[in-house]
Amino acid sequence: MKNALRVLRAERDWSQADLAERLDVSRQTVNALETGKYDPSLPLAFKIAQLFALPIERIFQPEDDGATPKA
Amino acid sequence: MRRNTMNTTMSKATKSYLIEFGGSMLAYAITLIIALQVIEANPQAPWRFALAVAPVIPICFALWAFIRALGRMDELQRRIQLNAIGFGFGATAIITFTYGFLELVGMPSLSYIWVLPLMIALWGIGGVVASLRYAR
Repeated sequence: MKNALRVLRAERDWSQADLAERLDVSRQTVNALETGKYDPSLPLAFKIAQLFALPIERIFQPEDDGATPKA
Repeated sequence: MRRNTMNTTMSKATKSYLIEFGGSMLAYAITLIIALQVIEANPQAPWRFALAVAPVIPICFALWAFIRALGRMDELQRRIQLNAIGFGFGATAIITFTYGFLELVGMPSLSYIWVLPLMIALWGIGGVVASLRYAR
C-alpha cells in the first residue's frame, strides 16, 4: 500500500511524534506507516481517516492498480 | 517548525514498564545475593531447597511486567514482539535440542540454568532484527 500520510502530516505541520500521540501509537509505528513498511489494521486506518477527516481511500491506495478489483 | 516532544520524553507506557521490570530485577538481584549467602552458611539445612528457588519469585514479577507491557503496545510493536518471541522460542528449541543430541555422544553436560539467558538473548536479537525491518 502507498499512502499520503507524510503529506497530510506536513500540511498540518505535525511531527511524527505529534501524529503518534494523536493516534495513540508509537513514533516508530508512524514512521513505518509513512514509509509503507507497515499497513495498518482496519481500526487504525479508520482512526487515521477520522483524524484527517478524509475517506480511507483518499489516504491509502494499493501499490499496483491492477490489484484493485474491477468495478 | 517541527515540535519533537515525544522523542525526548519517554512514553508513559515505557516508563511504567521500566519501573515494573526494573523493580523486579532489583528484587531478583537482592534475593539472589541473600539466598546464595544464607545457603553457603547453611549448606545442609533442609530448607535450602526453598531458598534456592526464591529468586524465581521476582523473575515471575518480571514476566508479569512484560505481559502488562505487551497489553500497552500498539499493533506494530506487538507484531515485532511476535516475531522476536517466535525467533527466540524456535532458536532456543533448536539449539538446546541439538546440544542434547551432542551430549549423547560425549559433549559436556550443561546446566539447565543456561536455557533462560540463551532464550532472552535470542529474543533480544529477534527483536532488533524485527524492529530494523520496519525502520527506515
